[in-house]
Amino acid sequence: MATSNPSRRKLFNFKRSLAASEARLAWWLILPTVLIVFGLVLFPAFFSIWISFHDVGLKNLNDVFHAPWVGLENYRLVFNDFAFKFEGLLNWGAAVTTVVYSVLSTIFVLLLGLLAALLLNRKFTGRGIARGIFLFPYIAPVVSVAFVWRWLLDPRPSGVLNHILISLGLLENAKAFLATRGLAIWLVIIFQAWRYFPFAMLMLLARLQAIDEALYEAASVDGASIWQKFLFITLPELRYVMGAIFLLRLLWTFNKFDDIWLLTGGGYGTNVLPVLTYQFSFGSFDFGKGSATAMIQLVALILFLAIYASTIMRQSGE
Amino acid sequence: MAERTPAKGSFLDQLALHLSWNRLLFALGFFIFIAMILFPFYWMVSSSFKSGAEIAGRAPVYFPSSLRLDAYRELFDTASPHFQNFTRNILNSILVSVPTAILAVILSTMGSYAIARLTFKGRGFMLNSILIVYLFPGILLIIPLFALLSQVGTTLGFQVQDNLNVLMLTYLAQTLPVALYMLTNYFHTIPVEIEEAALIDGCSRLQVIWRVTLPLAIPALVTVGIYTFMIAWNEFLYAFVFLNDRSMFTMPIKLNTIFNDPSPRPNVVMAASTIMTLPVIVLFLAFERFLTQGLTAGGVKG
Repeated sequence: MATSNPSRRKLFNFKRSLAASEARLAWWLILPTVLIVFGLVLFPAFFSIWISFHDVGLKNLNDVFHAPWVGLENYRLVFNDFAFKFEGLLNWGAAVTTVVYSVLSTIFVLLLGLLAALLLNRKFTGRGIARGIFLFPYIAPVVSVAFVWRWLLDPRPSGVLNHILISLGLLENAKAFLATRGLAIWLVIIFQAWRYFPFAMLMLLARLQAIDEALYEAASVDGASIWQKFLFITLPELRYVMGAIFLLRLLWTFNKFDDIWLLTGGGYGTNVLPVLTYQFSFGSFDFGKGSATAMIQLVALILFLAIYASTIMRQSGE
Repeated sequence: MAERTPAKGSFLDQLALHLSWNRLLFALGFFIFIAMILFPFYWMVSSSFKSGAEIAGRAPVYFPSSLRLDAYRELFDTASPHFQNFTRNILNSILVSVPTAILAVILSTMGSYAIARLTFKGRGFMLNSILIVYLFPGILLIIPLFALLSQVGTTLGFQVQDNLNVLMLTYLAQTLPVALYMLTNYFHTIPVEIEEAALIDGCSRLQVIWRVTLPLAIPALVTVGIYTFMIAWNEFLYAFVFLNDRSMFTMPIKLNTIFNDPSPRPNVVMAASTIMTLPVIVLFLAFERFLTQGLTAGGVKG
């Protein structure tokens, strides 16, 4: 040790202290974010598990931590609730409705987004402005667009859709579209497609513009038609982006509360799990039951993701 | 007449030259899309200028007879019989969303710089656990927050309900993960060499961040700021649960209240919608180039 060069050791120490101070700086920089996200997202998420096993209501809100333990009772109540479980084709229940609603909405979003992306992938004057306009439904506040739609679908004869259908002779009397079981769910899905297709469009457009032009030229030389080029060049190139969009949108639609709450309030066969959670928690103030519903939803989502990752993603990896 | 025929013929020829089935189909699809997108917005703006009689008529009025300000008067004019004091709601929305945007930019810049540039233990774990936020439904997080309301109120000594600062904190929690993700990606695109050069020249880390990295990251910072602003401005669920006092309502909640009024006045709802939508659209169009890039890069939750 005595023979070791002191200046070298000094340098080593200096480097080590630099690394340590960098790490310290890193922690200070990220600390506020960590505190906020952990305090307001991860802690509530864990606390929500706790609540779902306890009887928490308005009566013991002053003293939550001593709420009585009820085991799986909340879960049993939810699974047996007529609003939750499937009871024939006329009453899907929130569980089935949520799945149908999120899968169909996502598919429509993808199709409409693809169509829009193909339209905007051409070169024409005013394309930039057009792209901006195409994004309006996505960026506008959900409350305002939902209320415009509700008013366009107004049950009175003066509602726009009613007026158009009646003048075309397709409808005899005014119809309460959003209050008709069987129809309401489709309208909500169409609203979703209208509102969220720009997201898919934007991601697809970015991918479309990255496709090598030489592929199309080579196909033209070989005499491929436009349809063949789309089928054998464009679609395969878009496959991964479409998979990513499908997953993201499915996740978000599955968890979405605002759209359905504002359009139908969860009535007329459009009740989904987030709305049901709200109704249990803030309608009947049974927070235990509400938490249990939300946990069921979360577990379903995690299971789905696990299956997705282990099957589809492994397949595409090979 | 005889002289005009060749001219007309040449016009038709020219037209035929430009027209093909392909173009026609494209134009048709394009206009269907534009109509489908814009009609609800047209309906919102035009309806806000309709009178009560036009709203209550037997048939919808597609073109308001004149620009009547009845609906706007109800929102802003204290002399109006149904005065809504909408100015208060606009202020509340601004008081929540502007600080959210500013804080989100500052905090996520700090955090994402640490993740992108500095080495420390648990970096990957941090980024992943923060992204998990994507999985949780908003409603799941509200229940425990609501259940702790009175506990927090008594032990920490501040009101949680009707507190715009608390609302702002929940918005930060929702937007920070996305902001962090977007900015981390952006910082990765700035070459490390630039910063190393400044470090060798004797700048400290903080000086490097302030003088070198941040000026280069301005487009990304603007994107994050506008996105978080929009998310806070548009947010409905948290405000719906946490705000009870009418004077504290943000615009979306106020809109919901006017919509559910026993005597429906859609023109007022549409006027309020127009006021709420306009700033978002203007901001978006002004910064469109940055924002569309950000949307595809970060996959902003919506």
